[in-house]
Amino acid sequence: MLHTIKQHNKVAYLILIFAIIAIVPFIINDDYFISVMNQALINGVVVLGLNFITGLTGQMNLGTGGIFALGAYVSALFNVALGLPAWVGLAGAVLMGFLIGMCLGYPSLRIRGVYLSLTTIGFTEIVRLLLNNLVGITGGTQGVQGIAPFRIFSFAVQGHRSNYYFILALLVILSWVSYRIVHSKWGRALKALRDNPDAAESLGINISSVKIMAFTLAAIYGCIGGSLYVHMTGYVNPSMFTIDLSIKYVIMLMVGGIGLVRGNIIGALIVTLLPEALRFMGDYYQLVFYIIVLLGAIFLPDGWLSIVGVLKEKIFTGNSKGKAAKT
Amino acid sequence: MINSIMQLLVSGLAMGFIYSLVAIEYTLIWNTTGLLNFSHDKLITLGAYVFVGSYSLHLGLPIPLAIVCSLLTLWVFGALMALVIFIPLRKKTSTLFAIMGTILVGKIIVEGIRLLYGTFPMKLTGFLAGTVHIGGTAIATAYIATIFVSILLVAALQFFLHYTKAGKAIRCVSQNQKAASLMGINVNKSIMVTTGISAAICCVIGIMITPIFTTDLNMSNMIGLKGFSAGVVGGFGYLPGAIVGGLIIGIVENLAISILPSVYKDVVSFALLILFLLIRPSGILGKKA
Repeated sequence: MLHTIKQHNKVAYLILIFAIIAIVPFIINDDYFISVMNQALINGVVVLGLNFITGLTGQMNLGTGGIFALGAYVSALFNVALGLPAWVGLAGAVLMGFLIGMCLGYPSLRIRGVYLSLTTIGFTEIVRLLLNNLVGITGGTQGVQGIAPFRIFSFAVQGHRSNYYFILALLVILSWVSYRIVHSKWGRALKALRDNPDAAESLGINISSVKIMAFTLAAIYGCIGGSLYVHMTGYVNPSMFTIDLSIKYVIMLMVGGIGLVRGNIIGALIVTLLPEALRFMGDYYQLVFYIIVLLGAIFLPDGWLSIVGVLKEKIFTGNSKGKAAKT
Repeated sequence: MINSIMQLLVSGLAMGFIYSLVAIEYTLIWNTTGLLNFSHDKLITLGAYVFVGSYSLHLGLPIPLAIVCSLLTLWVFGALMALVIFIPLRKKTSTLFAIMGTILVGKIIVEGIRLLYGTFPMKLTGFLAGTVHIGGTAIATAYIATIFVSILLVAALQFFLHYTKAGKAIRCVSQNQKAASLMGINVNKSIMVTTGISAAICCVIGIMITPIFTTDLNMSNMIGLKGFSAGVVGGFGYLPGAIVGGLIIGIVENLAISILPSVYKDVVSFALLILFLLIRPSGILGKKA
């Protein structure tokens, strides 16, 4: 009984968050703000994917930049070079994600911890260097231009507002899928893998297939994010797909609270919007931002929102070792 | 043809020694704290900026004095960094936070540099400039200096680790922290000394690459990443492995230019990194895990 109530609460939180996001454009009527929000929503899609591998199984994946880049380029080139509609590009990006997941998932069976971070960093760097240098296919540093937007029947998804609701709709669907997976047998298997791989294996969980599945999901979500991004901006070049991008996604995951679907979306929103809020600090905002994130990593490992729980317990029970609720 | 291969070999050797030093510098911290210092390339940048920006251009010190001052500055900085960040992070059970912690420290250092020195690249003209002719092959002085300094530094480090009390304590801590602390070794102090040495080596690397690259915020990104490849290729967490791995990466990627288009030079070391992690994760010299 208690369990189902808790479950309902989680869904209620998610619905509340999406409802707030949906009415934001009516309250803040500013094109620039909405374009930043669009970016935040796309980041939300990517972080939902990263949550499977880094959040649930605890494997450090610093390859999100490369995954995002490949999804973006596949979708862009399907559209520009082959003349296919954006939806086919999106399907191509999903296929690309599937392939990356298989390719990155296999090494993750043998290596873990910092070694996996190094492999994924190597992957991101190779992708970036290839995108820069395979000028014949990717256009090199010039990038790909004139990418068509998504079309729903005869309606082209153009402009900040239509993109906003289009991406939001996809984000709602994808977070529903993600929520269902996290709270399914698969999701519990992933968590078991993080906490104790040996025990998980002895209970009949096939570690290899579960790990590869987590990687594949992460890559598919990342590639969908890339596809949405290029069809929104209509332009892509390799300069943004550095390791810094991968790091930013992990920061979003940490800020939101690792393992929580609603945390992923809140983390993406906070990290994307915070630079705008801290703009008054001028040159110092990045320094301040990173210091806050570092302090958060040390003192609030369950995400910034867990500060509410920590304070509550401190105030009401006087217990200094207060721990926030976990999934 | 032979001349150009000679040139590539020498520059490969010099870069190889730099990668070796990078690998040594983070292996020291890895062995004592179990943390992979992802902020190490930022420490290299910091070392270069402190040397070029503060001591040489701003204060106008003679170069030897500037080098000594920068080394001391970075040593103190490293020890403080260990005290404030690495020692608390070490107690985190999740590798996720440990990795992100060191990455964020690197971000903070870079932002600090940007605010202190500005975004304009700097150049110290005349420092290790020019070329030396050996048998008809022109070789940059900076490369030769790099090779000599690296060999000296590696020898000095081996001497320190094997024949001094502090060095032996560091080796004890890296083998078994519990036993070391039971034998009366101050583990935290050892970690501070190690991180200080590591930061000082970063400073040496930073100083040596100032004639090769311009001093800017991204100068050491590639070197830092290739240092990781070097460690993996040679044998992770093993100092002789770090040296061998660095030399292999340096020479292979320089000789690859003569076969591949030069833009793929950087791809080679990452391909080697992934290949070794897949086929032989323990590296060339490492023991089987």
